Amino acid sequence: MLKISSCNRTSHVPAFLVFCLLVTLTARLRAQTTGTGGSTSADKPKPATQDNLPNAPSSSTTAPTLEDLGITPAQTQGSAADQARLDKRTHMLKVHQRLGLITLAPLVATFITSANAGGKNTSNTDRTVHMVLGAVSGDLYFMTAYYAIRAPKIPGTETRGPIRLHKALAWIHGPGMILTPILGALAYNQKNNGEKVHGIASAHGPVAIVTGAAFGLAVASVSLKF
Amino acid sequence: MHRKILTAFLLLALPAFAGSDSQWVLEQCTLTYHVSHPLHQSEGVSHTARGKAVCHDGQCDFLIAVAVKSFDSGDSNRDLHMVQVTRGAQFPMVTVRTRLPEAASTSATIHADLEIQFAGQTVQYKQIAFELVTQGNQTRISGTIPATLSDFKIDPPTLLAMPVKNEMPVRVDMTWRPQ
Repeated sequence: MLKISSCNRTSHVPAFLVFCLLVTLTARLRAQTTGTGGSTSADKPKPATQDNLPNAPSSSTTAPTLEDLGITPAQTQGSAADQARLDKRTHMLKVHQRLGLITLAPLVATFITSANAGGKNTSNTDRTVHMVLGAVSGDLYFMTAYYAIRAPKIPGTETRGPIRLHKALAWIHGPGMILTPILGALAYNQKNNGEKVHGIASAHGPVAIVTGAAFGLAVASVSLKF
Repeated sequence: MHRKILTAFLLLALPAFAGSDSQWVLEQCTLTYHVSHPLHQSEGVSHTARGKAVCHDGQCDFLIAVAVKSFDSGDSNRDLHMVQVTRGAQFPMVTVRTRLPEAASTSATIHADLEIQFAGQTVQYKQIAFELVTQGNQTRISGTIPATLSDFKIDPPTLLAMPVKNEMPVRVDMTWRPQ
């Protein structure tokens, strides 16, 4: 501003005009050589902190803000309630995962003991062990299912990836885990009465196999990468 | 008459004394995080980052921001879990700030000090190498930020009782153009 004031007072106007033109052109040329038309005020003093850390993130007033990026304060505002919902969801699905893995153990044991549960000469003890293991598997299964069903849903989330198969398989092993014990109980009574397993009870084995396979696949679908 | 001409030239000359700012805008951006688990190798990608750089006095201040929930790993369950462990509902945005000399736009490689706000933590990464390729008026910047879960105090998620590795490198691929 001092320069401007002194310029105004000068009596050699044409010379001054040439001077101003030269200054302007020089500045423009310097801006072009930087490739961006950017900084031209090399005479300005720089903040001391920036001199010491020329490559450090800036806290200067010229630094862009989130508003400059079109991000509203509402978008940056966190929600403790949403976080709490996510935390609860994760907690319940973790329990679901653990119980599912625990359920696998008695389920496999139930399948192993099924080999001695049928037939004409099997003992009542083998059949009872099979029944008890099946009951334990069923109980754990429904506890597992509870934690998945009751886990909070997150609005606006489209289900994608292996979890789709995991959820779809529930429509097979879910009804299967209801049917299998019912059919098993019918078969158990028929066997204990000295009868050959007949009628709908004869479907106990095939239904159990399909149910077990669907359950195993459901566990694998979210555990292993295909 | 002379007075008017003089005033006009003065107005033209003033910006030269004041120093003019230039700005850059982030045109395209791909951010990819990588997470390793004994049973899985997962990647989450976001293309929705926004960014701007303001240059003044030969220095450019960069700001890049992206929503945590914008990362897509192809598994909605994993993505929701990622948002949960990174406290993404409470701290929805990831911001990256850096300051680079304007002359660096002509270099093939730059080393940037990054300040990253994520998961309620602010972490600085020093001298992160990025490659620059300029084509026309666009400058492509790519590199990898060696982030870790512990840097941001994130509990490693587990699958089948096995936690993921602490390393969570983030691949950055950006295209900038002058505004």
